[in-house]
Amino acid sequence: MIKDTDFEFKIIPPIINSLFDDIEHRILSPLSCLREFDSHWMLEFDLPLVSKKDVKVTFDGNTVNVEAKLKEKYSEEKLGKITKFEYFKKSILLPGKIDNKKIIAKFQKGRLEIKIPKKMLGHSIKIN
Amino acid sequence: MKINIENLGFSFNCELCKNYHLKIAKQDTQENTLLVGFPSNGLVGTFSVSYLIHHLKMKQVGEIEIPDLPSTLFVEGGEILVPIRVYNKNNIFVIISDVPFNQYLAENFAVAVHKFCKKFAIKKIVIVSGMETASKEKKPPKIYGLVTHSILENILYENQIPKFLDGSIFGTDAAIISVFRKTKIPALVLYAECHPFFPDPEASTVAIITLAKILDVNVDTSDIQNKMDKLRIQHRNLMEETIRTLQQQQEKQARAPQIYR
Repeated sequence: MIKDTDFEFKIIPPIINSLFDDIEHRILSPLSCLREFDSHWMLEFDLPLVSKKDVKVTFDGNTVNVEAKLKEKYSEEKLGKITKFEYFKKSILLPGKIDNKKIIAKFQKGRLEIKIPKKMLGHSIKIN
Repeated sequence: MKINIENLGFSFNCELCKNYHLKIAKQDTQENTLLVGFPSNGLVGTFSVSYLIHHLKMKQVGEIEIPDLPSTLFVEGGEILVPIRVYNKNNIFVIISDVPFNQYLAENFAVAVHKFCKKFAIKKIVIVSGMETASKEKKPPKIYGLVTHSILENILYENQIPKFLDGSIFGTDAAIISVFRKTKIPALVLYAECHPFFPDPEASTVAIITLAKILDVNVDTSDIQNKMDKLRIQHRNLMEETIRTLQQQQEKQARAPQIYR
């Protein structure tokens, strides 16, 4: 909860919000980024106010689902109404085939990094 | 008071415009410095400059309008705020933008900043921005400096700021550097290592400490350190919009062929 004594930056928020928080279920949509490398995908989520033990990552086919419980409720005022958020939740559909047996996840400074190896398909071609 | 300056393509709406000659005359022993912040990688410029405005209790003295910037106003406690504002305290001026700029607007913004500098006898400008770090180690972020004129290299040396040696720059930073390197007003750009796609208050704290040394002011960073996690949540949408704008710019940049890199 933001106290009266806390400082506030005077930063104008964007008019259009591209992240859709679920006010009814008190769920925040976290920032995420997906970067492609030769052999793997690197998927990152920004999960501030979260402890490692409260992060849950699941795979469903090519979709990565991340859920996390906040250490403390995060309050935000929208249209004159204060909402207290308790969770982060997001699903990301990966654009290629993945090798889900070799996935590595790391959580550090409130950032979740998931290294997802690509599934190498095809056959070798003999060079004459 | 709103002053439209003909043929410049932008207008200042600035209280100081009425008596700026007097203000500058009083400050002849200290050089006027302009600090510029806008949304970029990790929102480093936005966070660090906003924090200095807050911590130094700087007063808003004006606003800058640039052509073609979509009309955006924000009302806070009945007060109308525009996206590009001017703050001042003693010999330190600040221009802060809350909106990221595309290529066209970045050039207009850079020209507006330069005209402001000429009007208010600014002797140097300092820009704060973020750069992507390749390091995944737990070490504190480093800060690098780039100067448009060799006269400012002394600041880097005195404050032990390593020089930004290699890399490409695009976006609003590049637009400002391009304008100022052709003028007599030197610019120093501080690049803090950060996560480029997520708000990074930790990198911003390093930038604030460096800025405080350069400006010779005392700044306690405990407020921002205590609120890091909440700032990361609070400014998710601004980060998202900034990335979208930066990516559009990057796609439009002509890329040098690999052989020349």
